[in-house]
Amino acid sequence: MEVVDLQKRYPPDTMAVDGVSFSIQRGTVFSLLGPNGAGKTTTVEILEGLRAPTSGSVTVLGTDISKGYGQIRKRVGVLPQNFEPFDLLSPFEAVGYWADLFEVKLDRKEIAATLELVGLGERQKVMSKTLSGGEKRKLGIALSMVNSPELLFLDEPTTGLDPRARRDLWRLIEETKKRGTTVVLTTHYLDEAEKLADDVAIMHKGRIIAQGAPEQLVSEHGKKTSIVLVGAGPEGLRELSRRGIPALDRNGDVVVTVEDPAELRKMFAKLSSIEVSYKEMYTRRETLEDVFLSLIGSRMDEGVLEE
Amino acid sequence: MNRLLSDTISFGRQYLRTKIGPFFSFIFPVLLILLFGAVFSAPDGGGISLPVQNLDTGPYSTALLDILNQTGYFEISMIEGEDDIVDYVNDNSLALALRVPANFSSNVASSLPATVVLCGDTSRSSFPIAQGVLDAVINQMNYNLTGASPIVSFEVQFAGSEQFTGYDFLLPGFVGLTVMVSAMYFMTSICAEHRSRGYFKLLATTTLKKSEWLSSKFIFNSIMLIGSLLVTFAVAMAAFDLKAVLTPVSLILVVAGAFMFTSLGMLLGVVVKDPESAAAVSNVIGFPMMFLSGSFWDLSASPLYLQVISKAMPLTYLNNGLRDTMVFGNETSALVNLLIVTVLGLVFFILASRWMSWKEA
Repeated sequence: MEVVDLQKRYPPDTMAVDGVSFSIQRGTVFSLLGPNGAGKTTTVEILEGLRAPTSGSVTVLGTDISKGYGQIRKRVGVLPQNFEPFDLLSPFEAVGYWADLFEVKLDRKEIAATLELVGLGERQKVMSKTLSGGEKRKLGIALSMVNSPELLFLDEPTTGLDPRARRDLWRLIEETKKRGTTVVLTTHYLDEAEKLADDVAIMHKGRIIAQGAPEQLVSEHGKKTSIVLVGAGPEGLRELSRRGIPALDRNGDVVVTVEDPAELRKMFAKLSSIEVSYKEMYTRRETLEDVFLSLIGSRMDEGVLEE
Repeated sequence: MNRLLSDTISFGRQYLRTKIGPFFSFIFPVLLILLFGAVFSAPDGGGISLPVQNLDTGPYSTALLDILNQTGYFEISMIEGEDDIVDYVNDNSLALALRVPANFSSNVASSLPATVVLCGDTSRSSFPIAQGVLDAVINQMNYNLTGASPIVSFEVQFAGSEQFTGYDFLLPGFVGLTVMVSAMYFMTSICAEHRSRGYFKLLATTTLKKSEWLSSKFIFNSIMLIGSLLVTFAVAMAAFDLKAVLTPVSLILVVAGAFMFTSLGMLLGVVVKDPESAAAVSNVIGFPMMFLSGSFWDLSASPLYLQVISKAMPLTYLNNGLRDTMVFGNETSALVNLLIVTVLGLVFFILASRWMSWKEA
């Protein structure tokens, strides 16, 4: 996939996507990461052929989508944001129906196997309206994979799911990638992008502000290491401050950032000599979350930037 | 399975699993025909209640009341006493009452004017019927008393091969109404639900074409509404002495009507964003059409401007066509109405296909 200088303007003057360019290699997981309103879904919907761009060029599976999406539609699977299943169809019926819409012949065993694959084997005959949020999302993934797509778009597939359902879906995405499918994953969960993506593009206000492999982004934008004093609290923070050691209170833990890794051992020794009460002490390398914080200037919770 | 067939079956499954869909397709028309059929049935032992204050004791008042009784239109009861008849009607909230004066028989015998008084509320539906019957009975009584016979008269000849009744007129109207309600209201609400829940966007990610989706809804509605017509007709046949007949043209008209109203529902679905606005938009279009398209009554007696408005109602042509073929046996006129319904359906279908967008701008 090749995206060059993509723009989407909504009247009168909202630039939802502002000159975005990137490319995605076959068989990789590409993640568009960013807070709500960053322009992720608009970008992805243009790539899915569901929205017309204002300008720029998009080539999907070797086809210029400005000339129509019909030729590649059968090769693409989509799980839209906020996917809602048809309430009055069972998962079994829905998968059969969706296969017919892609002109894919699936017999009853194959439909059941598809549902087994996403973990809905035991819920295949119930009405979809009775499925839980996680089960609905699993059904959405089953539908998006019914045509064995070469390219799969997953737009915020784990939003609002409990940790176990998220892990199940992560496993599914990893298995999908192993089968050679290219996955475009839109998410506002940094850990999700870090775990699943081969390549990450961080979007903010319609622009891509950083792009690369997660580890590359961390090494480029987050060279620091932190020492965390678990449970040290405000007293610990005051004590370190009194001794001239810059630190932050993060939810009751005290975090000391070390710019130069060579200084890490010295800082450990220094902290050990100070009488501060804490439960445990560990070092932590920066993650995408820290990269995001340094690039955007605020943290993100469920897609919303914190003040 | 073929995309069109699969979408039709899938839609049908969902439709039949809703509670409201089958109600409006099958139970609604049956209830209508049973309720209205009962209301419009000929009186059997009932009739208009007619309290009579007979102040006369002679034979002619007795003869008059006997004749009125024999018409079968009245259920006569006697008012005791000599209260003012107007006060009596008002005090007892009666629709009407008849007063026969004390000197009625003696005046008739002497060939002097003898006037009975029909007192009541002229706005009540029973009043003009009672007035007409009383007028006819008194005219006949005058001829008998004078030994004359009417020179100018009229007789009724039925235009059809059968003597049709009120429910023969109503059945095609109810079938037309059911086609409109089931196809148009439901399609508008389906479009709103598809938009608000993101189903259109979801479908746009498949190879299903918009025209195929529209066609599958029409196919399902046609099958279901033909079923509805057969059920309604069977119930009407069993419950009433139905003279209307089911013709091949009536079945084609139902299919054409399903096409027209499915397409109109989709066209309305272009402007609705959510189920609440779908109900409002459907009612704005559908409610006047229910009453101004001749589903419940013949509009030829209504004011001219209403007749003009009715010509702008698509349901009018479906109702007229169904009545032409089912009641009057006028296939030529039915085919003209079929043509109008089909052309309107095509116009709505083309506009809905062009204007309805599954994707975002």
